[in-house]
Amino acid sequence: MDVLAGLIQTAFLAGGVLALAALGEVLAERVGVVNLGVEGLIALGAMTGIAVVSVAPVPWLGFSAALLVGLVAGMVFALATVVVRANQVLAGLALTYIGLGLAATLGKPFSGSPAAATFAKVDIPILSDLPFWGRALFSHNILVYIIFLALPVLVHYVMFYTRHGLNMRAVGENPAAADAAGISVMKMRFWYTSLGASLAAGAGGYLTLAFVPSWSEGVVSGRGWIAVALVIFAGFRPINVVLAALLFGFITALGFVGQARNWPVAASVLAMLPYLGTIALMILPVLAWQKMRRIMAAPEGLTQPYFRDDR
Amino acid sequence: MMSYRLQRLPAASPAVAFAARLVSVIAALATAGLILKLAGMEPLALGAKVISSTFGSSFGIADLALLFSPLLYCGLAVAIGMRVGVWNIGAEGQFNLGAFSAAGVGLFVAGPPVLILPLMVLAGMIGGALWILIPTLARAYAGVSELITTLLMNFVATLLVYFVATGPWLDSSGMALATTARLPVAIPEIWDIVHWGLPVALGLAVVLAIAFNYTKWGYEVRIGGSNPGNALYAGMPVRRHLIFVMLLSGALAGLGGVMEVAGTVHRLQGGISNNFGYIGIMVAVLARAAPLGVIVSALFMAVVLNGGIILQPQGLTTQTVLAVTGLILLYAAIGDEFARYRVLRTIQPQD
Repeated sequence: MDVLAGLIQTAFLAGGVLALAALGEVLAERVGVVNLGVEGLIALGAMTGIAVVSVAPVPWLGFSAALLVGLVAGMVFALATVVVRANQVLAGLALTYIGLGLAATLGKPFSGSPAAATFAKVDIPILSDLPFWGRALFSHNILVYIIFLALPVLVHYVMFYTRHGLNMRAVGENPAAADAAGISVMKMRFWYTSLGASLAAGAGGYLTLAFVPSWSEGVVSGRGWIAVALVIFAGFRPINVVLAALLFGFITALGFVGQARNWPVAASVLAMLPYLGTIALMILPVLAWQKMRRIMAAPEGLTQPYFRDDR
Repeated sequence: MMSYRLQRLPAASPAVAFAARLVSVIAALATAGLILKLAGMEPLALGAKVISSTFGSSFGIADLALLFSPLLYCGLAVAIGMRVGVWNIGAEGQFNLGAFSAAGVGLFVAGPPVLILPLMVLAGMIGGALWILIPTLARAYAGVSELITTLLMNFVATLLVYFVATGPWLDSSGMALATTARLPVAIPEIWDIVHWGLPVALGLAVVLAIAFNYTKWGYEVRIGGSNPGNALYAGMPVRRHLIFVMLLSGALAGLGGVMEVAGTVHRLQGGISNNFGYIGIMVAVLARAAPLGVIVSALFMAVVLNGGIILQPQGLTTQTVLAVTGLILLYAAIGDEFARYRVLRTIQPQD
């Protein structure tokens, strides 16, 4: 029982990176921009977080710096894809390469050393004393509560229960109609793409300030790509995305437990599980249930640059 | 009244597109130089050093050739995928699997080299093709985007190579940490340390260029890639072409891995691919997916990659090269869009 509680606790901790990055990607994809630069953004944020706390050992400062770096990188990406309307796949790959390369080059001095400051665990009074659930649910660092509770509920509410959210989704589904209705397609796409990128880099800050907590060149190891896949798997819905991230956190946690308890499986084989799991989850639901394709479909205008003339 | 306005064309003319490519590459290198300058380095001196160390000696040329070859294989693999409308972001993994399969045959099958070498090549190509099989079938039969599935397979491949190189296949001499024993057979060398991997890749580029541009098959593949609906309506076997080209793409990247492990490195080790698969995407994009263009862009990227290796004492790494690659890719994507615009001069009648 204790093992299971620990597993769930680690699942939240590990899944937080994916959840935050994937929430950011939901914002971008819902307004019609696919950002394949998440992997690079996480790397940039992770390196930024470590670098900032090495100067000023305040975790919030490192995390905010990561968000800010992501916002700036996202604005560059949005400038290329939304304003210039360059190919989103190419620009996204470019962002991944730039982020990974830049983070590795600039992060060399911090490689391997632990973070100078990390987010401490916040035990919720009374609830955290509960026998099983206390450890599993109510004993986490503050970011976990934000990422798994506050943020998805907020995004869900704005996206599905406000006029602004309706406008957002209209821009992603049918930019021409949204334009005709007086919504600025470019403004909407620019800011939500930038905000999404900011959250992805924030996920990097979370990775090195709350989860690992140290920087090394390979620390991101595909989490950005898994996050992009989760968005598709979760049908572009914020709450589903966070639940899917939790599932993947659980798979990662299983790998850790396996290593710690000396299961007769090599560590590198256990480390393959999240990637194989992601591929399986991308393929199986579509095969199993044809209706899934329609229900979980991507926004109609995804990856389509919008030109007013083309209407 | 004279006025100017911009017109966006459905496709850029080849000459303008080429010019845009050239400008974006120069702009990207200039940006990288500016960043180096801000970091307190001398970009022009560094550039001169790269050029002189690369082209100034036969060692430099040989090193360059050894980087040129894997970039050709990966570039061709990605390029033919693009022709059929597929993003094979998994060349890195297929390259690793090619190296893995070839090393497996080389280490554990005894026999004369004339027999073992072809067997290694075959195993590597099958390995590469198998590595893209699941993404291929998922794309062809369930419409699952191959972009992310092929990419995720890269991580699995890297872990697999790392696992065998540090575990079951570890060099038993006790000296090595993460590498297998030296392979008993090698791809024959043609000049200095340059082996047959390079001429074979160049030959493949020519063969693919002819196949795609001058055969009925190539025509059908291209139509199926650019307009699947029309191709289907015209009775072309779109799905069959898609599956075949994707598997061929994997096999090509795998062949690159065979040549790398059996011709250049001679051992299977973790990190055997210097980001070749990822830079291969850049090679294919720069070449606009033309097999002969891949020769030019692979050579260019080999110089860039070699530059990163030469400048390692200055604190740069192959990861820095990846950042520069990304910069070129970003500018190329932007340049592509700009190349589609044409300035129109219009004379409006006075009334």
